[in-house]
Amino acid sequence: MNSMPSDSASMSFVDRVVVPGDHVLDLTGMANQTIKLGAGLRQDGDAISVMKAGKLRISKPNKYWVESSHKRYVPCVEDTVLGIVVDSKFDNFLVDIKAPMLGLLPVLAFEGGTRRNIPKFEIGTLLYVRVVKANNTMNPELSCMDETGKAAEFGPLKDGYMFETSTGLARMLLSSPPCPILEALGKSLSYEIAIGLNGRVWVNAASPSTVILVSNAIMNSEFLSAAQQKIMVEKLMKRLQ
Amino acid sequence: MPIMEHKSMAWRMSVNERKFIETALASDLRVDGRRPFDYRRLNIKFGREDGCSEVQLGETHVMAYVTSELVQPYRDRPNEGILAIFTDFSPMADPSFEAGRPGESAIELGRVIDRGLRESRAVDMESLCVVAGKLVWSIQVDLHIIDNGGNLVDAANVAALAALLTFQRPECTVGGDNGQDIIIHDPKVVEPLPLVIHHLPISVTFAFYNKGDIMVIDPTHKEESVMGGKMTATINSNGDVCAIQKAGGEGVMPSVVMQCIRIASVKAADITSKLKNAVEVYNTERALRKVKRHPSKMAHQVSVADITLEDKQVKDLPRHQAKMACQPYIGSSQDDEPKVDTRTSTNADGNSSGTHADAFVGGPSKWDPYPLRVGTSQVLGTLTVVKEEQVVSDDHRAVECSLDHTTTSSSGTVSVSDAMQKSNTSKSLKDAVKLKKRKKNRSSTTTR
Repeated sequence: MNSMPSDSASMSFVDRVVVPGDHVLDLTGMANQTIKLGAGLRQDGDAISVMKAGKLRISKPNKYWVESSHKRYVPCVEDTVLGIVVDSKFDNFLVDIKAPMLGLLPVLAFEGGTRRNIPKFEIGTLLYVRVVKANNTMNPELSCMDETGKAAEFGPLKDGYMFETSTGLARMLLSSPPCPILEALGKSLSYEIAIGLNGRVWVNAASPSTVILVSNAIMNSEFLSAAQQKIMVEKLMKRLQ
Repeated sequence: MPIMEHKSMAWRMSVNERKFIETALASDLRVDGRRPFDYRRLNIKFGREDGCSEVQLGETHVMAYVTSELVQPYRDRPNEGILAIFTDFSPMADPSFEAGRPGESAIELGRVIDRGLRESRAVDMESLCVVAGKLVWSIQVDLHIIDNGGNLVDAANVAALAALLTFQRPECTVGGDNGQDIIIHDPKVVEPLPLVIHHLPISVTFAFYNKGDIMVIDPTHKEESVMGGKMTATINSNGDVCAIQKAGGEGVMPSVVMQCIRIASVKAADITSKLKNAVEVYNTERALRKVKRHPSKMAHQVSVADITLEDKQVKDLPRHQAKMACQPYIGSSQDDEPKVDTRTSTNADGNSSGTHADAFVGGPSKWDPYPLRVGTSQVLGTLTVVKEEQVVSDDHRAVECSLDHTTTSSSGTVSVSDAMQKSNTSKSLKDAVKLKKRKKNRSSTTTR
């Protein structure tokens, strides 16, 4: 609970683990600057304090946020997630996205969607969707189109295998440059992968053994460093041969 | 109003997963990389108290507690104790578990484990009888499911067995004024007794797929959601079938059932050995813990470091300890006075013997058993020499140096420790005592 007096001192909190109650930035010396606060941060009078436990991140010049990894997902706008169809109603599909509430996918939210060609999804269909509206009082609204109205890879995923991980691992898999584990696996195996920010990952490949190998490798790579991930994949490949 | 999801539908499986698990099984592949007849990693831990165990089988996590109390026996079995199994499916283990009354699967799990223990007479009931027809011990096993990762029956069974193997009930005797009172002895005063367990019934669960063609052992939570049928065989390491449970699901051929039983007996032997190893480790550690309960007395005991002493030995200990203080001066003079003087002067130097004097006075013991064990053989050898030459003097300093016949000789202390040894100490303690006896005899002969 120490408040840091200068900007350079707040840099010392960046990329470090912070807990709720930490004051990471003192605003008294920064009268004319705008600071953008992301998830997990709050303005407390003259200081910025932390509300969620996690790592403090900065995106220059002035965006701060706290990154944490959970098993449950809190929906945010413009996130791409994997959902499972639970039910279909007259104008919405009810889709489970590992959030506190079920997501609503309008039946017309597909490219070229009209009342005549509403897709038929059976219960349990896996969908790759985008979060359009997210409010903690209402059910989040989803869509199978991007902003321009094109399909853009959204929609049902066929075959393959889906497994659940933490949101932190999903973010790591989606980072650019590509995550070392995915690159290393891609060098020797060919597979298809869809990653949802809600922690769901879908993998597809020609043979079931490849799918099982890729999914187990990804699940085990959560706490490994880049070098360790490469070594793990090398060992796996050697064992296969 | 926001649309909330129905509680029982909280965990969903996608169609893709379902199809994939089935197609992978058709090629003998399981989703977590195991072979069809491989068990997940079994991890058995124990708590501080007796009869408390925690078992992890892959992701499945179960805890078992065993408690006992004296009750009236059932009327049709006046000579037998009572064994009761209670299961608690905590809602944190699985979204489909609800708090309150146990559901069907909870009752089934309790019943399968109970049948395995009771019908096969694994736990000896007659040894739990105190007064026939009036008072018997009732053993209650509480199973708490912490995390449901699939195959709860096997994990809970191992947890129950581990807890029963390490549980100790208080000793109770019939006595008192009229010879009818039941006295329950405090476990700290009288060693509690373990339960008599004749054999270990291990349950092995199989899951069937594809109309009974494919079977796997130890299904995970996802595999259980996709399976067609399930069968649990409870077998002990001798190959005796204690119980079989197949409740509903796909029909299977009798040949498949026989094959499952054969596989189960192999797996049961493996799990039995793991369980016995874990219990052995725990028992040795518990025995060591019991011995270290009296650190102030420990400091005085020179001969055998890991035996607890009874009260009658305590008053001899100061003298015994003072012998060690006298040790460097043995042989230098024959009578007390100069010996005492030199001893006090070296005490001022801060010799190691000074610490013994401190401990004798009653301060915190700085004595460390292990380095001194090397020296004890020499000490005892010299002590026996002193015993023959020492003259008992009258004041308190002489008391410290004087040797008492019952406790001084090395052989004497060994016989004391033998008497101290309880019949139910573990193998390792007996070995330790024998080892020291040999060491002492050897050293006493050499120094003489």
